[in-house]
Amino acid sequence: MYNDKNKQKIVDIIKNAARKHSLWVLAYGTGCGAIEVPATMTSRYDAERLGVRGAATPRQADVLLITGYLTVKTLKRVIRVYEQMQDPKYVIGFGSCTINGGMYFDSYNTINQLDLYLPVDVYISGCMPRPEAVLEGFGKLQELIGKGIANGAQQYKENLDFYRENQKKVIKNWDFQDYNW
Amino acid sequence: METLLEKIKDRVNANFDLKDYKIYTDLKRVDLFFNKEHIPSVLLYLKEQMGFRHLMHMSVVDWIEEGEFEIIFFLWAPKEKVKIFVKTRIDRDNPVMENMDNIWPQLNTYEREFKEMYGIEFPGLVAPEEFILESWSGPPPMRRDFETDKYAKDNFATRPGREDAQDVRETIAKRSGEDIPDFAKKYSR
Repeated sequence: MYNDKNKQKIVDIIKNAARKHSLWVLAYGTGCGAIEVPATMTSRYDAERLGVRGAATPRQADVLLITGYLTVKTLKRVIRVYEQMQDPKYVIGFGSCTINGGMYFDSYNTINQLDLYLPVDVYISGCMPRPEAVLEGFGKLQELIGKGIANGAQQYKENLDFYRENQKKVIKNWDFQDYNW
Repeated sequence: METLLEKIKDRVNANFDLKDYKIYTDLKRVDLFFNKEHIPSVLLYLKEQMGFRHLMHMSVVDWIEEGEFEIIFFLWAPKEKVKIFVKTRIDRDNPVMENMDNIWPQLNTYEREFKEMYGIEFPGLVAPEEFILESWSGPPPMRRDFETDKYAKDNFATRPGREDAQDVRETIAKRSGEDIPDFAKKYSR
């Protein structure tokens, strides 16, 4: 996950500084956490002052918020969405459901551990995380981007076989094309 | 109100083989119990002749101890403002129920759900194969003998760390000096 030299070139420092102040979040919600996002975006907490704002389509977005539990059916769509997003891209796991299943840990149709299927850069704990926690999570993501160590997308490309194997294990009707980058 | 409910019950009883009934005056509600084969004609009669035009809901209860599914139709008469619950029992090992979406078209959706979630067969049901679940291979998940905990453990990897979580139930019981009931003990960690 970390850069091997843990040092950045000057051009990377400039690139990362620009990236971390303009995080466009895909307007896509799963589970119950999506209800916290409007509160975070609107006037009281006003995430846009940190450069965080919504994007309409996956190809315009930088951040994929997984807001809560993922059913197997949704996971397939989320993987599809994630692979459509263009670099740089980051994933935030939102709420305890993405960490260890939360209150749905014994459900027959929800996954328990998101980072087996998608590379997660930042987890926000809580059920539900309040907007303050969400902003804290975005702050953490900005910090990691500034240091150049939010390398989830690169990790996904390098370990595609590992992720594909896990994805195919739960998604029974797998019909994606075989491709890589 | 009680006379109206009695009258409704008597009128149904005069026309059909009523197994049992219950009257709840305060809820404005009559429960009618029938054998499975009478249900389509009863529903049609209640809809066309007695003004119970609105199907509120259809539901299934899994009586695993008695080896039966109970199927309940919730009807509502807008004019009299009275509810009727039409109940029937079917065999749990061979669950077949008549398809009745020609009486109320919305029954089609309910029947699709019960076919998927309880494995009840509705012969002649015209609907796509899948309703909510995608390519489901296990047993019907809403049946009570489906072990959801075991299924989740087998299919979805769990992060270590949950198993040493403190049991809230035991802590509360100890604090207030109560005993944990037997049915809850097997869930205690």
